Amino acid sequence: MTGQAVQPDIGPEVPPDAAPPDDFGEPAAAPGRPAARLGVAGWLRWGWRQLTSMRTALILLFLLAAGSIPGSVLPQEGTNPAAVSQYYASHPVLARVLGSLSLFNVFGAPWFAAIYLLLFASLVGCVLPRTLRLAGSARQPPPRAPANLGRLPFSATYASALAPEAALQAAATVLSGRRFRLRTGPGWVSAEKGYLREAGNLLFHIALLGCLVSIGLGGLFGYKANRLLVTGTSFANTVTALDEFHPGRLVSPGDLQPFTVALDHFSASYVTSGPLTGQPASFVAAIRYSASPQGPMRSYALQVNHPLVVDGVRVFLIGHGYAPTFRVTDGTGHVVFDGPVPFIPVETSGLTSEGAIKVPDANPQQLGFAGVFLPTAVDAGGRLESAFPAPLRPMVSLVSYAGNLGMNSGPPQSVYTLDTAGLRRLPITPQPLAVGQSMKLPGGLGTLTYTGYQQWISLAITYDPGQLPALVSGIAVLGGLLLSFMVRRRRVFVRARAADSGGTILDVGGLTRSDAAGGFEDEFSSLAAEISAQAAKE
Amino acid sequence: MPVNTGLAQVSNDFLLVAVVIYALAMLAYACDFAFGSKPARAAAVTVAAQPALVGAAAGPAAGEAADGGAPAAAPPDEGRPAPRAISRWVRIAVALTCAGLAAHVAGVVLRGVSVHRLPWGDMYEFITALTCVAVAFFLAVMIRYRAYYMGLFVMVAVVLVLGLAETVIYTPAGQLPPALQSYWLAVHVTAMTLATGVFFVAAVTGIMYLFVDRYARRVAAGRPAGSDGILRRLPGPEALDRLAYRTVVFGFPIWTFGVMAGAIWADRAWGSYWSWDPTETWAFITWVVYACFLHARATAGWRGRRATIIQLAGFACLLFNVLVVSLVIPGLHSYAGLS
Repeated sequence: MTGQAVQPDIGPEVPPDAAPPDDFGEPAAAPGRPAARLGVAGWLRWGWRQLTSMRTALILLFLLAAGSIPGSVLPQEGTNPAAVSQYYASHPVLARVLGSLSLFNVFGAPWFAAIYLLLFASLVGCVLPRTLRLAGSARQPPPRAPANLGRLPFSATYASALAPEAALQAAATVLSGRRFRLRTGPGWVSAEKGYLREAGNLLFHIALLGCLVSIGLGGLFGYKANRLLVTGTSFANTVTALDEFHPGRLVSPGDLQPFTVALDHFSASYVTSGPLTGQPASFVAAIRYSASPQGPMRSYALQVNHPLVVDGVRVFLIGHGYAPTFRVTDGTGHVVFDGPVPFIPVETSGLTSEGAIKVPDANPQQLGFAGVFLPTAVDAGGRLESAFPAPLRPMVSLVSYAGNLGMNSGPPQSVYTLDTAGLRRLPITPQPLAVGQSMKLPGGLGTLTYTGYQQWISLAITYDPGQLPALVSGIAVLGGLLLSFMVRRRRVFVRARAADSGGTILDVGGLTRSDAAGGFEDEFSSLAAEISAQAAKE
Repeated sequence: MPVNTGLAQVSNDFLLVAVVIYALAMLAYACDFAFGSKPARAAAVTVAAQPALVGAAAGPAAGEAADGGAPAAAPPDEGRPAPRAISRWVRIAVALTCAGLAAHVAGVVLRGVSVHRLPWGDMYEFITALTCVAVAFFLAVMIRYRAYYMGLFVMVAVVLVLGLAETVIYTPAGQLPPALQSYWLAVHVTAMTLATGVFFVAAVTGIMYLFVDRYARRVAAGRPAGSDGILRRLPGPEALDRLAYRTVVFGFPIWTFGVMAGAIWADRAWGSYWSWDPTETWAFITWVVYACFLHARATAGWRGRRATIIQLAGFACLLFNVLVVSLVIPGLHSYAGLS
């Protein structure tokens, strides 16, 4: 981001001593077109200067913003894979075009990576030379005072009874007392302050690079997983026990921290009156966990916003639902299924949930049931609905199937839906069942009993080694930003000349290269007044 | 703890009173433009007529200070219009603004007391709180820079937005769902509210800049400037530009901090500090566009008009995020309380 800069506010910085002081803020040489005959090196240099120019950086910033927009408008694989499949189902042709442009995975797309990598290349090309220049300028004294201080943006003139040297000395005392860096010459003093501004600016940009690196670290060595856990059960953190597992590129299954988690009890409370009735008020999951397979079990109250941290891995409570329990007796009189089946909520105000019961061991035919669970079933004009998310009147309503569940062949299927391709619907009208009620299947195929319900929670398990570096970088970003905005780089010059009537005439001039914060006029006038007072006193 | 509906009702009443007082203040600012004392028109035009010269020099008043030799420093026009007597209308308007702000603050605080938490949990509360910040920030800027000319424009925007909040977006007082029960929520939303209020003032200044800049160009070109009654009484484009820039510079670190606090909250609540949720994405886009503005203002050929348009685009992204994304696009931030 060199060149093209008139006023080095944020990015660009003109070398402080490359130009005479009255050109403080003159455009640096613009990156022009390369001369007619350039070698490869010349073209590379030209390309590099184009890439690191402020205009290119601006365009890349715009592209970054514009490129993010489809990521917020279209469903994304990373956040909502189900919505993406739905989009494919409803707009098959359009979705294929969008998919080939990676628009369902914008933030992992090659073109998005190209934008931010170019932007960061541009940033490096801008930051590196500036760091060297800052290091250089910190060792050099301020520039010489210009001849005519009256032409500076801020200037004042005072008379002093002192001799010119003594008056200058007084001015220098004031300025060094205010911690300006000084340079003196015959008849003048120049002073500069505020190098931290440029340092803060650099820190900001370097810390942005740090953020990118931290995100990359998380993507390489971290992992994310999900697990649904029914009350009374437990699981170990292994790849086979997880419902979903998204490892970083350099994570192997053996790297997973071997903890176990058991769910003892889950309780949810809801707002029971007023306009927000049914809105959740609190969720608490009483769990026990152990950091290693043989280790002692500890208790923990897992809540939203209060994750469990075990062995550097964090376990979050991100969802909950009901798992009605069923007992299925098949046509031969054997109990072939007895246990909870997690149903997935399809709406939040009443937690109406859908799910499927699969009984592959039933004889003479495999059995399947698809249906809804209503925590608080009420009759709404002939249809059953759930009026409240808590289980006040929990009922299920099921459609029954028999035939081939298709579980031993074909693509892996969801446990929450029934693949009805090989099934035949049984001629029995779905009747809402209350806890304890049974449903006898026609044709002597068996009986299903709705025995009760359990609750389940869904857990997100995340491990991100880039988290702490990201936090540190974030704090540095903010610190750099504040320094570069709040510190003002400014120069003050004093010239002393002998007056005709004896004594000295002091010219004071000042300029600043930032108008971010304002207030330099106040600082300048108080400084000038102090210099004048000091010169009058001695 | 249950919601105190009585207090919530009092809060609503205070906010209605605030809208009414703001509307009166708006009228008073308008009366100042209509009947207030005439400013020194020539001075305003002189400054406005040389934008190119002023824009290219390092200091805004480099040319004017050149004839120095005067004993006192000649500070450039730092966002302060040529001092003119404060008219009776301005006094009334400022007093009304203060009264409106008092009612506004009371409304926001009572809402918080009635629900036992910080009063920026849903969209309605967020808008009432951010307009409160905008008015307070605007009062500070107005008094610090004697920028009374801004009153009409800020008040029009505040009355519109607050009126919209009272009528269309109103949500009854209630408790927050568990995902929003975190002190990082307080930090995050407080910062976002503050930054939005500050950017609000910057956007109003930017719009004023565009009008004044066009007017100044027309005057400089010697063309008829059209309805110039208000425009010629505003300070020059340079002053407005600088004021807008400083406002953004004030708001940008707050916004950055707010986004970071949101990331920390997301990390605590969902296990991932950044998941490209639509609202996060738009906060990021807003951040990038304001970063564009800050860089553009330091780049030749982009200062002034183009930079201002970028700044307004940034505020448009912010508004889109508040009004469209959180209401229409499903995501983790669907907290608006509307359905």
